[in-house]
Amino acid sequence: MTFAYTRAADAATAIATVSADPQAAFLAGGTTQVDLMLKDGVVAPRRLVDISRLPLAGIAAEAGLVRIGATATMEQAAADPHVTRGLPMVRDALLAGASPQLRNMATIGGNLLQRTRCRYFRDPAVDHCNKRIPGSGCAAFEGVARMHAILGASPACIALHASDLAVALTALGSVVRLRSDRGPRSVPLTELYYQPGDDPQRETVLRHGELITEVEVPLPPQAARMTYLKVRDRASYEFALVSAAVCTIVEDGLIVSARIALGGVGTVPWRAWDAEEVLRHAPVGEASFWAAAEAAVRRPFTVPGTEFKVELARRTLVRALRVTTEHASEVLR
Amino acid sequence: MDEITVDVAVNGRPEQVRVSADVTLLDLLRERLGLTGTKKGCDQGACGACTVLVDGRRVVSCLTLAVQADGREVRTVEGLGGGHPMQQAFLRHDAFQCGFCTPGQVMSAVALIEEGRARSDEDIREYMSGNLCRCGAYPNIVAAIREVAGR
Amino acid sequence: MTTIERTVLGAGIDRVDGAQKVAGRAPYSADVTYPGMVHAVLVRSAVAAGAIAGIDASAAEGAPGVLAVITPYNAPRVARGPDSGFWRQPPPPLQGLDIVHHGQYVAVVVADSRERATDAARHVAVFYRPGEPILALDDPRAETVRDPFGSDQTRGDCAAALAAADVVIDAQYTTPDETNNPMGLFTTVAAWDGERLTVHDATQWPAGTRAALAGAFGVPEEGVRVLAPYVGGGFGAGLRVWPHVILAAMAARMVDRPVKLGLTRPQMFTGVGHRPATVQRIRLGARRDGMLTAIEHESVQPSAVNDDNIVEAVTQVSAVGYACPNVTTRDIVRRLNVPVPTSMRGPGDAQGHFALECALDELAYEIGVDPVELRLRNHADVHPGLGLPWSSKALRECYELGAEQFGWWDRHPTPRATRRGDLLVGYGMAGVSFFWFQQPCAARASVDREGRAFVRSAATDIGTGTYTVMTQLAAERLGLPVDRVRVGLGDTDLPRAPMQGGSGMTASLGSAVHDAAAKLIQAFLDLVAGDIASPLRGRRAEEVLAEDGRLRLRSDPACGESYREILERHDLAELTADGSAAPATPQELGLAPAGPFAARFAEVHVDADLGRVRLARLVSVVDAGRILNAKTARSQIIGGTVGGIGMALLEETVTDPATGRIVNGTLGDYLVAVNADVPDLDVTFVGEPDRFNPVGVKGVGEIGLVGVAPAIANAIFHATGRRIRSLPVTLDKLL
Repeated sequence: MTFAYTRAADAATAIATVSADPQAAFLAGGTTQVDLMLKDGVVAPRRLVDISRLPLAGIAAEAGLVRIGATATMEQAAADPHVTRGLPMVRDALLAGASPQLRNMATIGGNLLQRTRCRYFRDPAVDHCNKRIPGSGCAAFEGVARMHAILGASPACIALHASDLAVALTALGSVVRLRSDRGPRSVPLTELYYQPGDDPQRETVLRHGELITEVEVPLPPQAARMTYLKVRDRASYEFALVSAAVCTIVEDGLIVSARIALGGVGTVPWRAWDAEEVLRHAPVGEASFWAAAEAAVRRPFTVPGTEFKVELARRTLVRALRVTTEHASEVLR
Repeated sequence: MDEITVDVAVNGRPEQVRVSADVTLLDLLRERLGLTGTKKGCDQGACGACTVLVDGRRVVSCLTLAVQADGREVRTVEGLGGGHPMQQAFLRHDAFQCGFCTPGQVMSAVALIEEGRARSDEDIREYMSGNLCRCGAYPNIVAAIREVAGR
Repeated sequence: MTTIERTVLGAGIDRVDGAQKVAGRAPYSADVTYPGMVHAVLVRSAVAAGAIAGIDASAAEGAPGVLAVITPYNAPRVARGPDSGFWRQPPPPLQGLDIVHHGQYVAVVVADSRERATDAARHVAVFYRPGEPILALDDPRAETVRDPFGSDQTRGDCAAALAAADVVIDAQYTTPDETNNPMGLFTTVAAWDGERLTVHDATQWPAGTRAALAGAFGVPEEGVRVLAPYVGGGFGAGLRVWPHVILAAMAARMVDRPVKLGLTRPQMFTGVGHRPATVQRIRLGARRDGMLTAIEHESVQPSAVNDDNIVEAVTQVSAVGYACPNVTTRDIVRRLNVPVPTSMRGPGDAQGHFALECALDELAYEIGVDPVELRLRNHADVHPGLGLPWSSKALRECYELGAEQFGWWDRHPTPRATRRGDLLVGYGMAGVSFFWFQQPCAARASVDREGRAFVRSAATDIGTGTYTVMTQLAAERLGLPVDRVRVGLGDTDLPRAPMQGGSGMTASLGSAVHDAAAKLIQAFLDLVAGDIASPLRGRRAEEVLAEDGRLRLRSDPACGESYREILERHDLAELTADGSAAPATPQELGLAPAGPFAARFAEVHVDADLGRVRLARLVSVVDAGRILNAKTARSQIIGGTVGGIGMALLEETVTDPATGRIVNGTLGDYLVAVNADVPDLDVTFVGEPDRFNPVGVKGVGEIGLVGVAPAIANAIFHATGRRIRSLPVTLDKLL
């Protein structure tokens, strides 16, 4: 598929170029974009504006935040001392994703905006996909699902948001900095994504030509313990069946605060607000954990291949809560 | 659409090529520069057979546009010669069978050592998991890397 | 029978093609290029049944760089190639409008670059008259084929024995479709020169490809040359001549240019076969002491509506695996609108062993007899069907040594009794009795004046180590160091060889090389028969030994001369001899031909809450007859085991039940084992040289995989108390 390629000299030019052309798109690491364009053949922008060399790759810590530049690669972010020291859960989520080769290419911004892995979405031979062809239906809902969502899903779309990183960032209350031809703005990560609802082709609040420039991740207090627990079939190099990002603070046997997000289950990275509420000031222990697990996966939408995720998500969350409340941060691969 | 000029150093040798934007680095190497050591095993970033080093970092060349390699240094299996310690270790440990994934495994293993990730067998297995081997030579690949890492 | 000293043979020498492979210099078919070569890209059907109603190729035809768009409307007629002796050729492509499976080729686009052909292929508009596909094994509309491979067995009276048995185990086991997925994307380069055709292909059987192409295009076989010196894996997918190979040659003829046609990974799921799913029912009858009195084993598998799988006898292990007086085995095929299956590493036996070896495990727990002891009690000392002694069998040693090395006897016999933290620990085992296979084969051997040998045959090395072990064998037989021997393979201009399949190549080709070497030594003796200057004149082959680049009398090491001396004196550059071999019949030798045997012992760790299964270790003890190269043979077993881990825990090709589309046709979605899934694997070889071929070998290519899945499934039962009878054992089945 031929298309025009330009390398942006600066962010303003990149934004202006894409904004001016409805058929243009940004290109960062390319691990999603090139795959969808050239290999699967399901998207076809006429112009790619390469932003991978823009000076947006810095990582810095200040005033209780770690700022991760949008074009930092996953490997760069995972190796950064601010991340490894202050945000071990983010490092672990990064390293649990993809492979070293892909992590050397894929950027933080691109990771957040990765498209679903749903093979009904990624195959143009499938003509029922509301994401690709609005109103055409959802072949995955009728078909064979496994790597699909049980939260936020509906007969219109059960596509999963498969990022590990976004789950960890969501749990920590991260904020995404955006920039467009209308200027900069900030959006909490929990508000970046649209639930598919009746409109699965709308995935994020980003306007055409709007660029993620940075992610701000609040540093948890010293007393916080965090873990990213990823469950999958293969031992490595696979998306999550279920994952849990948990950050807790415990004082005198009571959970002072819990921040929880789930992966592998949601149409978007899933912040488990209800579970957090259940745990607030609850005693550390199995009863609290299971109550939180019940709250985290209330009213799931399942199809025959995804029913197991309800129980798996609960057990995964309970395991993660045990880990953060009993031990220091650790990751299970 | 117009072709684009790409200046890229491949194994230390400067190359200037004109390509359309839809040419991947993998196809540039294989089809235009005659460097067929780098293999196409899935063409979708899911197998690692096309692993090369770009500015010293391992990437999958099938999802890298050739135009994105402009101004970069690319190192392929051909750049190792044949006597690189990792290649010799693969040979001694029979770390391959059909040999198709081998150039990607070798490039990935070279990068792994440089990344300092060969400290334990567990690390080697995890950080080599981006390279599939359907012949199933994994235990021998681990043995070869362990040897080169000097453990 | 010749006695072979373990000198060159057996040694774990490095692969002779290894230096090329680690340097990226081994030329696979995808690496071949021709001046003026153009690229072909395939268009696949988006429906599984019905017919093409029309194709609008105008946009593609008008796209830049496009040379041709070939569809059923303009494709030249090609014939269905001749039967191979093992299978019919697949129906030739683009010869009609009927659609019989999703992914069937409906068009080919040829352009001056791969990118342009790919882009244009997306603009070929195909219109369908969709039919109602038959996609489920239990769909009553599916045609049933009974005893499709002529392999069904009946011995004794199963029904009566089951009725009289102390214990009956009656269970259904299922295995899914799995896809071979060699790492090398199958690529064909075809170049015509008048009526002569040269094809570079990823094939396990160059001669089969040549015959099929000659038949398809109506040209003489001698005019078709197929080259496959290196193949990026096959695992069975390269046995047959698939439609894309025909299409590459067709396209090259139509555009009158050399054409490269490389499959994409998704196309590798629909166009080059796969292991068929099975639904198996096993009934075991036994006495309380564990002696088997009956085995009834039935298996149903799918095939295509217009094509047949090659032999995939799932239940045959039940007829030969154990000494049991009453046996009934039945294989059944049901025809569906699916891509045709084909052999995949350990065909039939991989699935059949899963059911039989799990059922035996169930019996062992039911009657309280140790699983190893149960198998020893039912050991088939002679071939249960033929009643003849085995040509070799060290299965008892496999069990006993394996149990010892694994530490089996320390196992707590009760399921779910061993726990470490969150992990349940389980031990499981399985026995393996793999089928025997050998084919007629030819080879040619030369020795030149420099004392170098060149041995060649149209066989292939798909990673099996054939180059290496044939180098060792020829070196040993001709008395030369291995570095003076070169082996040529993968070219139909070389002597005819069978497929690299059925774990039979080492026996087939090894026997031919053995014969060629003997004939070559005889040719040297013939040359000096009347040579007054030769110390070997008038000597018979039995009196002579080849050693250190020379022939000498067995009785007098000093009496002999070198190949070089003989050739120089006779003013010859080299001497060449042709050899061939065909397997004997059991009746001729009074022996039942034995395939390899093995026992496998697995330790698994299962997360008690999350159901995650990790293989902690696996011990394989294998009787594969004589081992020609300890290093490459071990690699074959390890590699097969890795495939078995995938079969046990990960692999499943998923078909959409409504449309027949493969849902997970990428390597990101179809999960094969990665490095992190595989622990260190322990392999030991036992046994004696086999008596059915002069080299003494049995195959090692497939037995590494067979038996891994039941050993792991049995270990999972021991760990968890949960009996999972369907593969793969994914965590959702254990929650």
